[in-house]
Amino acid sequence: MADMAINPGAAAPRGRRAWPTELNALIGLVAIALVFEALAWAIRGQTFLGNTAILRIMILQVAVVGIIAIGVTQVIITGGIDLSSGSLVGMVGIIAMSFAQAGTRNGADFTGAVFWEQGWVDLPVAVPIAVGLVLGLIAGVVNGALVAYAKIPPFIATLGMMVTARGVAKWWTAGEAVSNPTPSFAALGQGMMPVLIFVALAVLFQALLSFTLYGTRTYAIGSNRDAARMSGINVERHLVLVYALAGSLAAVAGLIAVSRQLTAQAGLGVMYELDAIAMAVIGGVSLVGGRGSIIGTALGMLIFGIIISGFTFLRVDAYYQEMIKGGIIVGAVALDVWRQRRRALRG
Amino acid sequence: MTRNTIAAGLIGILAGTASAETIGVSMALFDDNFLTVLRNGMIAHAQGLEGVDLQVEDAQNDVGRQLNQIENFIAAGVDAIIVNPVDTSATQAMTDAAAAAGVPLVFVNRMPINLESLPDNQAFVGSNERDSGTLQGTEVCRLLREQGTDPARVILIMGELSNEAAITRSQMIRDTVAREDCAFMEIVEEQTGNWNRQQGADLMTNWLGAGVEFDAVVSNNDEMAIGAIQSLKAAGISMDDVIVAGIDATQDALAAMQAGDLDVTVFQDAAGQGAGAVDTALALARGEEVAREVWIPFELVTPENIDGYLTRN
Repeated sequence: MADMAINPGAAAPRGRRAWPTELNALIGLVAIALVFEALAWAIRGQTFLGNTAILRIMILQVAVVGIIAIGVTQVIITGGIDLSSGSLVGMVGIIAMSFAQAGTRNGADFTGAVFWEQGWVDLPVAVPIAVGLVLGLIAGVVNGALVAYAKIPPFIATLGMMVTARGVAKWWTAGEAVSNPTPSFAALGQGMMPVLIFVALAVLFQALLSFTLYGTRTYAIGSNRDAARMSGINVERHLVLVYALAGSLAAVAGLIAVSRQLTAQAGLGVMYELDAIAMAVIGGVSLVGGRGSIIGTALGMLIFGIIISGFTFLRVDAYYQEMIKGGIIVGAVALDVWRQRRRALRG
Repeated sequence: MTRNTIAAGLIGILAGTASAETIGVSMALFDDNFLTVLRNGMIAHAQGLEGVDLQVEDAQNDVGRQLNQIENFIAAGVDAIIVNPVDTSATQAMTDAAAAAGVPLVFVNRMPINLESLPDNQAFVGSNERDSGTLQGTEVCRLLREQGTDPARVILIMGELSNEAAITRSQMIRDTVAREDCAFMEIVEEQTGNWNRQQGADLMTNWLGAGVEFDAVVSNNDEMAIGAIQSLKAAGISMDDVIVAGIDATQDALAAMQAGDLDVTVFQDAAGQGAGAVDTALALARGEEVAREVWIPFELVTPENIDGYLTRN
């Protein structure tokens, strides 16, 4: 029993009662996909899922938020929450883009570059990437330190970071957009690159959670913090690590987003944190902590993608889209809660 | 039973939208008064046309979301796309996406940064901000000349300085003052009120406190003009003694004009831009030749012609 409390995710008990929450999300995904496919034939007389252009954008459009969700999932597994990721996308995006600007535009000198006077244009692509990652890392470490050492509730600590980072993003250029990146920086987000980066990161972090001490500790802290501490885990240090990773992943998302759009603006990423949390929750990550996986979150992400593309394909008005999306988020959690309660009653 | 009714209703909604020509529309954001008038103008115009169907989406002020919506429209096989850009510096990526798929694209209201290099099946529909400032400045000049005020001291309240409209409108006022027939005018104060009513009011209170004297207040938008009016009235200054001019012809501004407080405003035809965008998109979808820039004119609003504008925005 003590073993289970410390290590429930890495070694899930087998048997009838061990219905993995990811399976719910997978069933939901298949069901929603089939519903859209059926409606597509009924209404437009053509396939929805067989359309490669649709499949492409379906995944591409959620990849950036998906990268954030990888970090947010781990934070939620520790029993915390991260509201700052959307603002970090905006802050990292606009500052990194300032280090990624080309020196010429349409054949003429691009004197509008943020660092034109300093001559910091046409820098190697490693510079904006490093700047972005370091910023995300610092913000994540601050989040983690506030939560772990200052004992500020995660909701409040990351809310503070959310407001602060958005302020930094606006202050950086006094609200003006930053554009005209070098071709090498623009290449980061072109084509299916965002999806490839998402898949690589998702596989990496799922492996870390499933097979390493890092994962064991993350689940242990979320399941029972006191038990984790008594079993010798340095809870504070581990929390800082998890939040730092989440901040860095938000930075990756910011870099990819501005690279794909070829411009960065201070308002970038508003509400991304909530979309990321919703993806995790739909994928079976429990807000109480200790339960969930990157696989589940990725399934939640795909459900989001299908809904967005599906509604456009079926020509459903924007108003209905948001109403139905909200319903699905609540519905997914309600279903999960109901299943768990039934399981508890039977057990 | 109920479930069947709901399903039938949903399919009814969906089936009702299938038609001959479909235009995908991505608006920068839904909860903006001006853009809502534009959006509804677009929808109303499309409903009046036979077999034209609009699919309107809300980009929620997010460039990434807008780019995704455009790609979704392309994948869903729309005949043309209308975009009200979130950020005009991001329009190149949108142009590239639509051009690669060969789908006609129309930008509306906000001028794309790549206007000069738009491909043949893309266009911009909007109003020329140079006209709004010139119309406003010229009318203020005319009123001051009629009064016989010479020299005439003018205060200029500007919008957000990073904003193209604020820069252009202000420059047109400076150009008007530099004109020979309006050379008796002089700009004595210039400040930014960030499009905001309260900031317009605060600026005016500060100027009054500092003893600045003036004959006219020219504001980049109505909200700041109304703020200035509120401060002027609070200071006990008669609105007959000072000319106040705004731009936008909002409902509040028209009410202020009817009350005799606001003297000049300029109407930007949001619904006209929406209708123009739909017409341009249809023309492009049918392969017709279209001018790269389609201008919907600004219109001057004064107490004499205000009745024609009361229900338009």
